[in-house]
Amino acid sequence: MIFLKGITKLANLSKSQQVPKLLCSCKLLSNSEQNYYNIKGSLYYNRYLRNYSTDKKVHINIGTIGHVDHGKTTLTAAMTKVLQKDGLSEFVAYDQIDKAPEEKARGITINASHIGYSTIKRHYAHTDCPGHADFIKNMISGASQMDGAILVVAADDGEMPQTREHLLLAKQVGIKKIVVFINKADIVDQESLELVELEIRELLDTFGFDSEAPVIYGSALSALNGQDGEYSENSIRKLLNTIDNYIPDPQRDLNSPFWIPIDNAFSVTGRGTVVVGTIIRGVIKKNDECELLGFDSRRKTTVGDIQVFKKSIPQAAAGDHVGVLLRGVKLNSVDRGMQLVAKGSIKYTNRFKANIYFLTREEGGRSKPILSRYSQQLFSNTWNVPCRLDLEKGIEMLLPGEHGPVNLTLQWKMPMINSQPFTIRENNITVATGIITESLEPVLVTSTLGKLQL
Amino acid sequence: MIFTKRIMRFYHSSKQLFGAEKSSLAVLRKKTGYTIANCKKALQLNDNDLGQAEKWLKDQAQIMGWKKATKLEGRLTSQGLIGVAIKDSCAAMIELSCETDFVAKNKEFKSMVEIAANSCVDFASSQYKSNAPIIKICFSGEQLKELPTQDGKKLSDLLALMIGTVGENATFKRALCFKAGHGVYLAGYAHPSGDEPNHVQLGKFGSILAFRQFAPKEVDLNTVGKELCQHIVGMNPKKLGTIDEIPSEKSDYEDSLLHQEYLLDESITVKDYLEESGVEVIDFRRFQCGESMMESGDQPLELIETCQ
Repeated sequence: MIFLKGITKLANLSKSQQVPKLLCSCKLLSNSEQNYYNIKGSLYYNRYLRNYSTDKKVHINIGTIGHVDHGKTTLTAAMTKVLQKDGLSEFVAYDQIDKAPEEKARGITINASHIGYSTIKRHYAHTDCPGHADFIKNMISGASQMDGAILVVAADDGEMPQTREHLLLAKQVGIKKIVVFINKADIVDQESLELVELEIRELLDTFGFDSEAPVIYGSALSALNGQDGEYSENSIRKLLNTIDNYIPDPQRDLNSPFWIPIDNAFSVTGRGTVVVGTIIRGVIKKNDECELLGFDSRRKTTVGDIQVFKKSIPQAAAGDHVGVLLRGVKLNSVDRGMQLVAKGSIKYTNRFKANIYFLTREEGGRSKPILSRYSQQLFSNTWNVPCRLDLEKGIEMLLPGEHGPVNLTLQWKMPMINSQPFTIRENNITVATGIITESLEPVLVTSTLGKLQL
Repeated sequence: MIFTKRIMRFYHSSKQLFGAEKSSLAVLRKKTGYTIANCKKALQLNDNDLGQAEKWLKDQAQIMGWKKATKLEGRLTSQGLIGVAIKDSCAAMIELSCETDFVAKNKEFKSMVEIAANSCVDFASSQYKSNAPIIKICFSGEQLKELPTQDGKKLSDLLALMIGTVGENATFKRALCFKAGHGVYLAGYAHPSGDEPNHVQLGKFGSILAFRQFAPKEVDLNTVGKELCQHIVGMNPKKLGTIDEIPSEKSDYEDSLLHQEYLLDESITVKDYLEESGVEVIDFRRFQCGESMMESGDQPLELIETCQ
């Protein structure tokens, strides 16, 4: 683990040259550890390893969504103001947030404000993006996987026609928990408030969110101005309290079958082959049946021994960096980039659905559009394989700067799981970055990828 | 069916939370989609008579829309949609912009683009008569506002209504029409493709193209036109170019349409493809959403469409 963190830091050092703007905005974050993970920008590290932060408070990524005039930014400012009183945060003024500096995560320009604050219970990294495309880019580049969102609705307007788009967006970026803040509650009567609440609950239900989600009435502006009344500071405290309790701590995934990307392998004389890697999810035990997958090969084996820091242990869990002794596997059949998984737990295929973003020329990407049958090298984890990309039916091309769903066909079968990030490189420059959304049935590649009929 | 649905909702909500008076507010809001504050006012002024209140709301909407439009005027609109419409011998391409890309996905917004594109086509086909192979007609944002729609209203009135509903500023940026003479074909394309209500293609990018056939070949002219338009959107040529001029050394930087690598087959140039299909390009134009980032109404000189 410590080793991995070192790598993270090293990577950041070299990256920091490119991201001065982001570094500035990160100053606002109270916990420097969070910065590393944000800049590193990897979904994995956010998801699985952030609990390892030296600070005891748990990190949560949260965001505001809602109509332009409904008070997202005012609310964010009000939250930091209230927390500043408790000495837990620094006040960030409205215009500081509203400037939405362009930031570069993995070289992609995203218009987003990242505000950091903490409650007594947790640290929050709060994202406020102005547009739909910015949220999607934020998701695809893995800058921050949001654990929850605050939907801001103005009480005098109610649900606006594009509130649907906002909820659809929340679904797309994988948000599971939504807290509703009905803003401007001080300028309407109780009847209207109830109607807004009813409408929002109905809408939440339509989009498959929890229709019993907490709804808080308040006025961000009066809280910001320090006025008295139940809708001012109290409502903000209530909101903070609600997100503290309603949005669950991100769990390190111990229940799924184990999955270890292999960093290294060596042979121990008289014992066999040992593979080394960090457990991404699940728990591995001695004598577990497992499969060594990658590059079309599939080798069944069992776990002979597990070692952490040269000590033999009976089991290890997600987050641990382990060496695993495999029975009956020769060293020359193990390659870097292979994965050790629990037997039968991963769909082993060479076809995937993915969501992808093509970098613009200014971001260092292509200048020409992408059509189906586009074939280049795909990079993920520690491996890369030739890959062909086909656009979904009805999409004729993707221009640089656009994102969309695509089908990937790899030269060989590789174990990949949902929300696994990857990049596509062409002549040694990164032209696209994306995440896996679905595994499809494998196809046999007998000709070159480009000529393959799909 | 819709009627029963509304009735159901009426009962549903009244059971859950509201008394009789409250549910009329809920019903009116569901039915009209206007903001809660306005629905409430409508009911108060009309003694809770639903029919009357709805009528009052509709009447007010125009005025209120204007008010809202005035209030929001001047806010930066950098997102939006391009609409491409082709009817008979006329093609029109318009840009309507808004503040966030959420609104650009909105149904009301889309139908506004569609109406505006159709109005342009109608206006161009009725107004200009000439024997030239092609006439280009340009509209500025201000001129577009004055155009009549099919039901006689001005586009600016409809725009104000739409702004009132979606609650965001929206501006007509520009429009361009091609009117084709005898033997000239028109084609149009919008990207990302897919949305095509009432034969208006909507997207973030658009192109229109005028071409003629010089040698009959066994090709579908519609497909040829569409593919060329797709090429124009994708490869962004700046000019048509001439056959005699020397192509750029780096194919990536080539900005003459004729000498660019053809999008759908990189091994040939557009010139080769045209010869193969027996057609020649007369003129083309490409719009990209938000190419012109500025306040409404104030257009820098270089971005005003000219008819050369």
